[in-house]
Amino acid sequence: MPTPALLLLIATLLPLASFLLLTFVGKRMGEPLAGYVGTFLSGGSMVLSLAALAMWLNASPGADYGAGIGPIVQTFAWLPAGLSATTSGSLEVGIYIDSLTIALFSTITLVATLVHFFSVGYMADDERFARFFTYLGLFCFCMLALIIAGTLVQMFVFWELVGLCSYLLIGFWYERKSASNAAIKAFIMNRIGDAGFLIGFGILFYHLGNATLPQIWVSLGRAGMLTSGEGLVLAGGTTFSYASLTAMGLCLFLGAVGKSAQVPLHTWLADAMEGPSPVSALIHSATMVAAGVYFVARLFPVLTIDVKFVIAIVGVTTLTIGALVAVVQTDIKRVLAYSTMSQLGYMMLAIGVGSWVGALFHLVTHAFFKSMLFLSAGSVIHATHHEQDMRRLGGLYKRLPITALTFGVGVLAIAGTPLLGGYYSKSMILTHAAAFGLTAEAAGRSSGYWLLFILPAVMAYVTAFYMARCWMLTFAGRPRDQKIHEEAEESWVMYTPLLALMVMTVMPSRYIGVEDLVTRSVKEAQRHCESIAGGQPYRGFTTMWPVTPPTEAKSLTAGDVNSMPDIEPPAVTATVGVIEQATRIEHRWAFWAFAIGILLAAAMYLRGFAIADGLMRIAPLRWFHTVLLRAFFIDELYNALFARTTRAASTIIGLFDQYVVDGVVNAVAFVTKQLATLAGITDRYVVDGVVTTTAAFAQDIGAAVRTPQTGRIRVYVTALVLVSVLAVAVTVFVMMF
Amino acid sequence: MTIGLTHFLVLAAFLFVCGLMTILLKRNAIGILMGVELVLNAANVNLVAFNYYQHPGSAAHPLLTGQIFAIFIIVLAAAEAAVALAIFLSFYNSFSTIDVERANEMREQG
Repeated sequence: MPTPALLLLIATLLPLASFLLLTFVGKRMGEPLAGYVGTFLSGGSMVLSLAALAMWLNASPGADYGAGIGPIVQTFAWLPAGLSATTSGSLEVGIYIDSLTIALFSTITLVATLVHFFSVGYMADDERFARFFTYLGLFCFCMLALIIAGTLVQMFVFWELVGLCSYLLIGFWYERKSASNAAIKAFIMNRIGDAGFLIGFGILFYHLGNATLPQIWVSLGRAGMLTSGEGLVLAGGTTFSYASLTAMGLCLFLGAVGKSAQVPLHTWLADAMEGPSPVSALIHSATMVAAGVYFVARLFPVLTIDVKFVIAIVGVTTLTIGALVAVVQTDIKRVLAYSTMSQLGYMMLAIGVGSWVGALFHLVTHAFFKSMLFLSAGSVIHATHHEQDMRRLGGLYKRLPITALTFGVGVLAIAGTPLLGGYYSKSMILTHAAAFGLTAEAAGRSSGYWLLFILPAVMAYVTAFYMARCWMLTFAGRPRDQKIHEEAEESWVMYTPLLALMVMTVMPSRYIGVEDLVTRSVKEAQRHCESIAGGQPYRGFTTMWPVTPPTEAKSLTAGDVNSMPDIEPPAVTATVGVIEQATRIEHRWAFWAFAIGILLAAAMYLRGFAIADGLMRIAPLRWFHTVLLRAFFIDELYNALFARTTRAASTIIGLFDQYVVDGVVNAVAFVTKQLATLAGITDRYVVDGVVTTTAAFAQDIGAAVRTPQTGRIRVYVTALVLVSVLAVAVTVFVMMF
Repeated sequence: MTIGLTHFLVLAAFLFVCGLMTILLKRNAIGILMGVELVLNAANVNLVAFNYYQHPGSAAHPLLTGQIFAIFIIVLAAAEAAVALAIFLSFYNSFSTIDVERANEMREQG
């Protein structure tokens, strides 16, 4: 096995070791040793990932893997079972490692290590201190295993397991009713999505068997170029129709909708903030919720045009709702939760419009600055003894200067301030969305497609506004609660990870090379697919609708693909001119979003809630505020639509049960009882009579027969003699006559 | 008057009846054992007599089957007496008597 693969496998298993170790001896280790053990093993995982990254970037020229050269694909037989005609009779598992895998490994392990370390401080004096790190270890293992998985069946297994970890950690303080409710809500919402995942996987499995990712890409690579009514002819001669492909894509996407908190399954994410803040930083911002985006990105080549359109619509809806709702929240963590939801919406939108690189680039930069924001919020919450309501905070920059700094940098990053990580990824997504609008326009489509650019661009302003508002209300102005303010102080265990994450955020992203890595992973996947398909050019990842013609006539030739520069966003290779135009549009309309949003927020909230309260006197604004505060009443809608109807239905069914089913059962029981009484009488008099008579008869015979059995030997001998004599006499008598 | 087979048979029958009567009438277990010996020896007389008169064999090859059989029975009677005496001893230990009328434990009591 190639060395990077080995390193990553060990990096995957170290958190598992942490989990097992802490499960058995965690309680004995106690505080803070258990936390440091978890941190140490997670750190080991990080070192291995970074080593793998270094090896990957400096792969030897002769190797068939490495950055921009090719992925590492390996499979192992797992369950020997004749599952499908296309697999060789065994369920296979495998690993697929490309630049994206390694980039995500480095990101996840880095964030995870810092979160572990932060938690040592945050979870201090918690009675289940060791168990927290046990769960974190399990989560890291599952997350890494999900990223390295080479087949969908593996992905599904670990997909479910990260959901389980999320459930356990949201409900970590399960004594609180709200926390345990939030955990159950998250679990159920995810379950709805996972049902979709399973159905989609079933459709895929029916056609392809348990295929590895490259096999899926090669077999279904032309899905993005089909129009309705067409179909893909598979190797076995069967046809995978456009309808089935679309159904499969939508079902698989539903899984990602649940996991990545997209509309309409988004309601669990805000409630998930009941979990400890480090959990929100690790799971509900940086890693698990991004797994949905990762998953859809991995399946990008098999998505049909209709599926991509749905993804774009869902993404744009989510980012709009998330950003608007975040504006009015007063709970510091709920602001961040809706912001996460909104950013995930940006990523989904990016995938929908074909900006594969933009989505994953944003995923990585977002992981850094959002985990930093959540950890900063955690630092605030810890310092103020679990006060999350911004109406009682304010002015904390004096007490928590480092947290105020890191949170501020996070706000700048998410607002899209140039030179910070978030700027590049966000502007890339917006640019590609604009390019999408341009191409749609050029193709004579409806101008409604422009909404896919306009809404995200407007929401970029809103994003800067609500994040700056959050900072102002927490750190600036006068303290609104003196007692909380005076007791607040920060500790080194908690701000060290913040500073480390700040370095990752501030460092110009081009320098870190995330974008290069993500772009190269496309190149690697393409090369690999081409080598499988016998040298035919592979365009699964570079298909962008609605530009790409459905016929093969205009497809790129092999020469085009090979001459493609290494570091070019693959989504737009076919439309380079459009990209320049889109960049200009993006710069004109969205470049100053960060400044305008932040200044507006400063104007409104620098002195607390005074101005906002003034605006609230205007009735329409107040109504709008209520709508936003209740998140568009979607929870209430679900409650009325599903919870209430279910309850009403169960009441009706309960009545039916009570009167009809129970009635029938009772009637049957009554009849049975009467029959049994009858049978009892028969039994007693008829059957028992026969039996008793027989027994009495046998007893009489026995008594009669027993009489000669005196037990006296002499009587027996006498009888013997007499019988013998009689027998002889009879014999002689017979012989004589 | 020559002594023939009939005489021996009559003697044997007499011995047999004596033994049988002893068995039937005696209550003492030892007496019964004696009766059994008489019955066995009556059979022995018969065996020897039949051998002598009916199947004597030739002078060169005399047949002694009956007589050998009689010896076997004598040995057998000795062994039987030993076993019987052991049983009586055990019986005596349990009931302090050797009256066979008392040996009715197998019968349903009551």
